[in-house]
This record gives sequence, C-alpha cells and structure tokens, in this order.
Amino acid sequence: MTAIIQAFGLVLDPYVLGVIFASAAFGLFVGAMPGLTATMATALLVPVTFFMAPVPALAAIVTATAMAIFAGDIPAAMLRMPGTPASAAYADESYEMAKKGQLELNLGVNLVYSALGGLFGVAVLILAAPALAELAINFSSFEYFWLACLGLMCAIMIGSNDPLKGFISLLLGLGVGCIGIDPAAGFPRFTFGNVDLMSGINFIPTMIGVFAVSELMRGAMAIDLHGLMVQDKVGALFRGLGQVSRRYWKNFLRGSMIGTLIGALPGAGADIAAWVSYAVSKRFSKEPEKFGTGHIEGVLDATSANNAAVGAAWIPALVFGIPGDSITAIVIGVLYMKGMNPGPTVFLQNPQFIYAVFIVFILANLLMLPLGYAAIRGARALLAVPKNVLIPTILMFCIVGSFAMTNSPYGIVLMLVFGVVGWLLEENGVPVAPLILGLVLGELLEQSFMTSMIKSDGSFLTFFARPIAGTLGVITLGVVAATAWGAWRRARAG
Amino acid sequence: MRFDDRLAALLFLALGATLIAATLNFPAFPGQKYGPALFPRILGAGLIVCALALFVRAQRAAASGAPLLRIDPALKDPRRIGGLLLVVGANVFYLLAAERLGFIPTAFLLLLALMAWFGVRPLTNLAVALVMTAAVHWFFGTLMRVPLPRGLFMQIVAGG
Repeated sequence: MTAIIQAFGLVLDPYVLGVIFASAAFGLFVGAMPGLTATMATALLVPVTFFMAPVPALAAIVTATAMAIFAGDIPAAMLRMPGTPASAAYADESYEMAKKGQLELNLGVNLVYSALGGLFGVAVLILAAPALAELAINFSSFEYFWLACLGLMCAIMIGSNDPLKGFISLLLGLGVGCIGIDPAAGFPRFTFGNVDLMSGINFIPTMIGVFAVSELMRGAMAIDLHGLMVQDKVGALFRGLGQVSRRYWKNFLRGSMIGTLIGALPGAGADIAAWVSYAVSKRFSKEPEKFGTGHIEGVLDATSANNAAVGAAWIPALVFGIPGDSITAIVIGVLYMKGMNPGPTVFLQNPQFIYAVFIVFILANLLMLPLGYAAIRGARALLAVPKNVLIPTILMFCIVGSFAMTNSPYGIVLMLVFGVVGWLLEENGVPVAPLILGLVLGELLEQSFMTSMIKSDGSFLTFFARPIAGTLGVITLGVVAATAWGAWRRARAG
Repeated sequence: MRFDDRLAALLFLALGATLIAATLNFPAFPGQKYGPALFPRILGAGLIVCALALFVRAQRAAASGAPLLRIDPALKDPRRIGGLLLVVGANVFYLLAAERLGFIPTAFLLLLALMAWFGVRPLTNLAVALVMTAAVHWFFGTLMRVPLPRGLFMQIVAGG
C-alpha cells in the first residue's frame, strides 16, 4: 500500500506532470504526421529521457506512444494516409466515411474508443502483471530460455507475412547482439580490437537508425506525395456517438480483448492488433457487405484494439523482460539504462515505479480525450507542417540523439549503418522488427541458453524436465512446426 | 533497390559462413565444455539453413530471365535519388566536419543544404535553420549537458 501512495507522489510531481503534457503534445504530433511512427517517437524520446529520473522517463514514453497510436487515426480519415502503421488497417474505411460526410462521427469514435480501449489494456496490465510476476519469480534459466524463444517465434509468425525472411532478420539481430563481451566467459567477440565495439552494439542509436533514419530515407524519396484532404472543417465530434455505442458495445469489448491478447504476445503490437480485430469484426458482422464502404463497425473494433495493445505490450516487458512489441523493446533498453532490470524482481524491489507506470497509463488515456479533441480541432494546421522542413529537422535530432547516447561519433556511425541496412532490408521485403527484437533479447537468450547447457551438461532433454519449461518448450516447438509447415505449403501452392 | 531473392540468399549464406569462420579462433576454456563460440555458431548455421531455403524457394518461383537486381523506378528520378543520398550524405558530412568546425556551423550548414534541396524557400530556410540549430544546441548542449563538439567555431567565438 505504501508503494502505491509513493507512486502517486512520484507521478503527481509538477515536473513529471509537465513531462507528461509535453510528451503528449509530442506524441500527438508525431502520430498525426504520416510517415512518423509511434516507434519512431519512442526512439527519438530516449536520448531526452536518458537524462531524467526513471518515473518521468517512463511517463514520457507511455504518454507519447498512447497519444501517437490515437493520433494516427486523424490523417487516416482526413487524407487516407495512416499517421502510424497501427491505423493502416482501417484507413480506407475511415476515408470512405469522411467522403460520405461522416468525418466527425469517425473521429469521435476513434477518440473515445481509443481512450476506452487503452484503459481496457491498462486494466489487464494492472491485474495480470503482478500475478504473473509472482509465478515468474520461480523461473530458472530453462524457463527464460523457452520464453525468449517463444517470444521471438511469435514475433516471426504473427509479425511478418514472410516467416522465412523474418527468421533471417532475427538471426541477423541475434548475430549483431553477439558483438562485444560475451555474457558467459567474458571473451570479446567480433570486436576487431575496436574499443567502441568492445562495449557492444549500443541499442538506442541502432533503433534510431532502423526506425527513424530509414524512414527519413523513404520520406526523402517521396517528399512530394500529398494526400487530398476531403474536408477541412470539423464539426460536432460527439453527435451520434451514443447511438453507435449502444449498437456496437460488444465490438468494443471484442476489439479490446483481441488487442490486449495480441499486445501481450511477445513480438506483435498495435498494428497487427488492428488488422486482426478489423478482420474478425468483418467476419462476424451481421452486415459484412458494408465493410469498405465507410462503415463504423470495423473502425470501432480496430481503434479499440490498437490502443489496448499499447498497454498490454508492457505485460511481458515488465514481467519477463521480453518485449511485447517494438516500442516495449525500446522500453526494456531504457529500464536497463535506469538500473531497473526488467523481470519479476522489479515488482519486489521497485514496486513504486511499476505502480507509477500504471498511474501514468491511466492518466494518459484520460488526458487523451481533451488533448485528442484539441488535436482534431487543430488537425488542419498540424497536417500543414511541410515535410521538407520536417525531414531535415528530425535528421538533426537523430544525429544529436545518437551522439548523446555514446558521447562520441560512434553513436552516429551505428545509427547511419543501421539506417542504411534497415532501409535495404525493408526494400527487399525483410521485416526489421525481428532484427531489433533479436538484438534486445540476444543477451537474455544466450545467457539462459549457456547457463542451461552447463547445468544440464549438454543434455537437451533437461530443457523439458521442469513442468513450466517443458510446456513452454513444447509450445515453442509447436509454433516453429506450424510456421514451417505453413510456409512449406504456401511455397508448394505458390 | 530490390535484389533478387537468390542474390539476397547468397549474401545471407556468406554472412552465416563468415559468422562461423570468425568463431574458429575463439579460445576454449579448460573445464568448460561450452565456450563463447557456441552461440554464434548456432546462429551461423541457422543463417545458412535459412539462406539455402530462401534460395530454393526463389529458384522455384523465379520466372526465367528475371533480372537479378531491380531498381525501383523512383530511384531513377534524379531528384528522389538525390534526396535519398543527401540524407545519408548529411550524416557523413556531420561525422567528418563536426569535430573540426564545431556543432553550430555544421548543423546550420546541414539543415540549410537539406532544406534547399527539398525546395524550402530561402528566407524560410534561413530562419528555420537558425532557430533549429539554436534550439538543438540549447536543449542538448546546455540543458542536457551533451558535450557537443566545440570545434573551430567556439574557439573563435568563445576564445577557446
């Protein structure tokens, strides 16, 4: 109980509240700009949060991502350009609604159900995380090994439409993660005598490269592409909302549940949650023929789902130290930087920080209503910020941010190399998220693997000897088999 | 810039082989069966298996005579490829110039050049470049105490 009171004290500090407001504005802006993603917002925030205490640092990330995932809906409806990939699933549907003159209803539903979906995800996070942590406290290296494997496999299976290329991306990430001092024996690997490489691949400049610089490279190529705004005046947002809510409240529950589940699964986040829940909504709708013509039903499902996923993705991140999506992959890096090793012990050692994260999550989703309302009102001015000014400015931030992570040009070199590599991979249909997950989870995976190998004296059967480890192992192998089988069948059919 | 999957597969194959080759001179520790070479070798082997699978798959799917390297039509437009190269070049320029010139002139020139290429009007460009350089320097350099390179510029302005 004292921890909760302490947490309130930490959050209700004027400085922290100021950080929350500033990062909310930042998140809304980045989310609403097509081409700038919520992951990019997080990656750009990290150099800034580096200098903050743990609570304001985490508060900034929580608030900015929650806002960004909602704000992505605004240009989706107005320009048919999703602000973040999480809104891509229903961008066409929203735009069709806007063309029919239902822009207000669409944005109203997006705003209210983003906030409600977000709160649903947070509620599950608050209820599930401590209980899971209690279970996880007894985990040994075997459980962690399988958990890491399962997380990575899920990321490949759900997170990409080409599992083979996803797997290659993952192996590349794990390989890059090997650079530096090895965790078992302390031997410097692949460093070529370079002092910078000895310290390993710094994770934040790599992220900024893969998620921001490669995006800027794409943006620089398509600088003159503009969407067509159907309507630039926004009327009463909440008219008709009551009727929609009465009719589709079950969709809200279903969308939020799917979003929470997919968010909590390691490796898949808000964008996939939106795609799946939109598809489910269409599948079980009484009027599936209306989908795609500007129908609110699927939008309600998906907009609840993507925001629910934001909170739920923190469950595996906080409890096991295994990221639920690419945003929480960055969060795990931040937790390590702040000396809070993610995992069940965080709940024992620093419960006030965990509760503070919960409180910020609730606060952010409540703040979404007034601030999101203001963002919709100001959307015209917001979307008028020219890209040709934005891209150079963001690049400047990337350079200085990466430099700040290492206080040397090494950070910038890393950022640039991974920016180009990320761009090339994406151009060739290789997803980059598994690479980042591999880099983040590499050390945990190798350490738990080596420890388990030494404990079991090389017998792989021992990996299945403990009940939870055995179950996780069987599930992991099942996922691998199913993925391989699916890929093989598709290859034969295609 | 899209490579044929077979070409990509060969590249990954080479990467996997290099990964394993690089572990060959890793030391073994007496009394320890599993050393620092084990994990990278597993990864290398995995990469080789995946690369072979990718090659076989691409070979089957490939129409005869498909080009090994397909250049995106957008990349043939000099304005677009210029923008792309400029984003990369800006980083290289910063790396080369920042230590010598100092952060402020480097950042200012970098913003000026990029915005000019992207067609921002000169006056707006000058104003944004000035304000952004000052803002970034103030935020990171002063507020966050990042040791941004001082270079020649600060030596002249601040006398050392």
